[in-house]
Amino acid sequence: MEKLKQKQMEKTLACNHSRRRFLQGLLATGVLATMPSGLLQPLLVEAKDLLNEAEYQIFRNACPRNCYDTCSIKSFVKDGVLQYVEGATESSFTAGGLCVKGNSYARQLYSPDRIKYPMKQIGRGSGNWKRISWDEALETISSKILEIKAKDDNLLGLGLTKYSGNFGITHYGVEGMMSSLGYTTRFVGTPCWPAGIDAQNYDTGSMWCNDPEDMVHSKYIIVWGANPAFCSVHTMKYIYEARERGAKVVVIDPLLTQTAAKADLYLQVAAGEDGALALGMARHLVDKQLVDREFVTRYALGYAEFEAYLKKNITVTWAAEKTGIPAAEIRQLAEEFARADPATIWIGYGMQRHVNGGANVRAIDALVAMTGNIGKTGGGARYGHLQTWGFNYHAMIQDKPAGSKGWLGKGGPMGEFHGASGDQQAKYRDRTVNINKIAQEILDTNDPPVRMLWVACKNVLSQDFDTNKIKRAFEKLELIVAVDLFFNPTVEQADIVLPTVTPFEDWTVNVSYWHYWLSLNEQAVKPLYETKTDIDIAAALSKKMNAKQPGSCTFPQEIDSKQWMEKEFNQGIYDLFGIDSWQQLRQGPVKAKLKSASFPDRKFLTPSTKYEFRSELAAANGHAALPEYKAGRKAYGPLRLLTPHSKFSLHSQFQNLDWMHDFNNEPFVYLHPQTAKSRGIKEGQLVRVFNKIGELSMKAKLTDNVPTDALLMYESWFGRKNNFNVNTLVDDESSDMGAFKTGAPGVAIHDQFADIAKA
Amino acid sequence: MNDTQELQQLEALRDFFIARNEVQLAAAYAALNMAVSFDLPSVNDWEALEFSFNRLFIGPMAPFAPFFASVYLEPEPQVMGKSTLITRQIFEMLGLQSPWQESLPDDHLSLELDACIRLLTIRQAHSSPEVEDLWNYFLQEHLAQWLPSWFKRVRAAENLPAAILITIDVLAAWLAEKIDSLKSTDRRLAHNE
Ligand code: SF4
Repeated sequence: MEKLKQKQMEKTLACNHSRRRFLQGLLATGVLATMPSGLLQPLLVEAKDLLNEAEYQIFRNACPRNCYDTCSIKSFVKDGVLQYVEGATESSFTAGGLCVKGNSYARQLYSPDRIKYPMKQIGRGSGNWKRISWDEALETISSKILEIKAKDDNLLGLGLTKYSGNFGITHYGVEGMMSSLGYTTRFVGTPCWPAGIDAQNYDTGSMWCNDPEDMVHSKYIIVWGANPAFCSVHTMKYIYEARERGAKVVVIDPLLTQTAAKADLYLQVAAGEDGALALGMARHLVDKQLVDREFVTRYALGYAEFEAYLKKNITVTWAAEKTGIPAAEIRQLAEEFARADPATIWIGYGMQRHVNGGANVRAIDALVAMTGNIGKTGGGARYGHLQTWGFNYHAMIQDKPAGSKGWLGKGGPMGEFHGASGDQQAKYRDRTVNINKIAQEILDTNDPPVRMLWVACKNVLSQDFDTNKIKRAFEKLELIVAVDLFFNPTVEQADIVLPTVTPFEDWTVNVSYWHYWLSLNEQAVKPLYETKTDIDIAAALSKKMNAKQPGSCTFPQEIDSKQWMEKEFNQGIYDLFGIDSWQQLRQGPVKAKLKSASFPDRKFLTPSTKYEFRSELAAANGHAALPEYKAGRKAYGPLRLLTPHSKFSLHSQFQNLDWMHDFNNEPFVYLHPQTAKSRGIKEGQLVRVFNKIGELSMKAKLTDNVPTDALLMYESWFGRKNNFNVNTLVDDESSDMGAFKTGAPGVAIHDQFADIAKA
Repeated sequence: MNDTQELQQLEALRDFFIARNEVQLAAAYAALNMAVSFDLPSVNDWEALEFSFNRLFIGPMAPFAPFFASVYLEPEPQVMGKSTLITRQIFEMLGLQSPWQESLPDDHLSLELDACIRLLTIRQAHSSPEVEDLWNYFLQEHLAQWLPSWFKRVRAAENLPAAILITIDVLAAWLAEKIDSLKSTDRRLAHNE
């Protein structure tokens, strides 16, 4: 087309007035009245003004992924289309910036790869999919549920596995949907942090970290087994500021991480020997009389026994042998830490993903406590907190249909966030099984077996352990329903997939397990295609169930997701955050009115109300009462396999997006040049990594950031036809703790071993 | 090809690419067969064709060749891009809107083919320089900018069913013919001036 005419047309298109004039001209000819009908409909008068007139509309959103930072997001929408996002400036934590993942949100929302329609697979794993209506999907699902109920006389054959794909509070409506159907089988626990949660609960009666923003006041910061440069980028600014104000920053990690590279001191600890290091430091503090006597006598229980244990069993030389860190460095570290005031330790989740993970956390807690750093601004044994999670869980709490039968055993579903701990009064309960052993539980559970599995906010076949075993276990299931955004390995093995929404198409509310901010998540754009939110799916299922068998599901059949977001608020939340109504959150996120130090009055939530060096509760639950040394897992292969987070993904989210592939288009295994040399492996060479449960192949990269006795592979589902999955090599061995507060022990993700060879 | 045939072809193609299942695919394909002057390859297994259709265009796996214009027109492939809005504006000029506004990108191939049908009908009944300009723009600056890339992508698919290939060929031939006729009109106009 001629350039001038093209420009003119573009001008006409962009101008409301010109478009209307054109249309009026057409109308005058009468030609429109005779147009054939088709897909496009006559323009509604109201819709005419939608385009181009308005400036950007700004919406409030939150990043609901399983990330420390839970960023407050400002979304800019024009013509009903999300144009871009930025970090909210109102939150001093988010401080106007998002990470590489958050900045790619528009790419997620508008990715052509999204799952758009409900679909069913003809032949699991065949790749032969039919598009079906919601009605047909729900017809199949509800028929199966009723069939299970008729066959077993209960609904325990229906299983739910759900975790952290979306932490928006209304997403607990998935659990609510299960409750509203009857007593079901719940995969409970968490693969993430349970050993540390239990450990902190034994020690302090809670899990409550200081406000991360108060780290600026620390004089000494140990980042122990965490990599915030990748996983909590927003916290880095407080660490930097503390350093500018004179603090020393130490990183303890088996890997020389990007955080370690920025530290004043990096100590390479033997993986899983964190407890030995903490206890060695503790012993040195006793010898040097650097213990905070006031704290251990006034605010603690069992310190004398702990000290006696240290004197009898622990030496710095022993700790040096165990950890690989020279005794002199351990002594210096201990002394510096004890002399700084305040000093803090950030206990990462990595170091508790071991068979002795809970014991390791307790040893570090003890070190922080005996130096008097608990209850202090700028101090603290920082792990996580749930202080701001006191919502109504309205979507989650649903009645069982009358006459429901269930499990007669003990327990009931628990959850670290929503605090539900199982109804101990009712005659029947849900049957709970360990989320971290999904394969084994499906294989072992009978009478009745799990016949149908509902997967939401979770990608089992990427994130759960022992991939090959999960595939075998899935064969036992009669129906698998996956609710997801993208076609990941779990969807690949599903019988039915239901498309769900991104945060921008959803109403919910979000808080963090790390910082103290509260963010509204508004629906900024309409749900694309035929996607639905988790609670809309629940409502639609309920409608179907009740149509087929009245009374078979108690979940409300018509819901408004905005109203359901509102129903999560209560006076406690309003008071905690100093707001009168949720609408105030439209102006921006707000911060909890809490002191920056956890346990500011040094009153603890333990049975004794003191910090418990000796925990009878721990002993009653089968652990040592004191924070004693616990040995790690015996190696079952020549090299330790470490599979931490990448900066381009949040577990199996984000890495499949095109932007991430631009930076990170291939998974690698990283190993020390010496290890490579001994096996004749060269940089960039194709290798096999293998152990007793599986094998993977990829290219090798040589780096001395990895110790000589280890291999490093970043976890994530790559997407884009790449079937790389580290959990092919990670078995489902349990960590020591987790069952007390989350219903199931954690998993020893970093106690894994493998060997490597040229492919 | 006469005008009626042309519209029938476009309608059949439109219905084919927005089909939800094998029945709708088969019906649209039969209509296309009626509208073209040769026999389309026959399809023995419509279910298999539906599976291939979904792998190519629908999902749930990342579709091999999504049929949204902005996937090909934006500097980085996405739906709901700037070109999607331009399509919406063109619909508006014709007094039309998508029934799935904001939930299905407006530049879905079938909606665009539907707009072509309307525009061709208007041109037949009552053309004007303004209408011609709009048609030229839509054809040359929009359809001709993305469809060839999409054709190329579809043709590169492994195990591409003959029935899908032929629909692409029919559409490609139609597009080529339209572009040609515009060029010859342009030449004529230039000559007259
Ligand atoms: S992934 Fe974490 S840091 Fe990135 S945007 Fe989300 S909450 Fe923020």
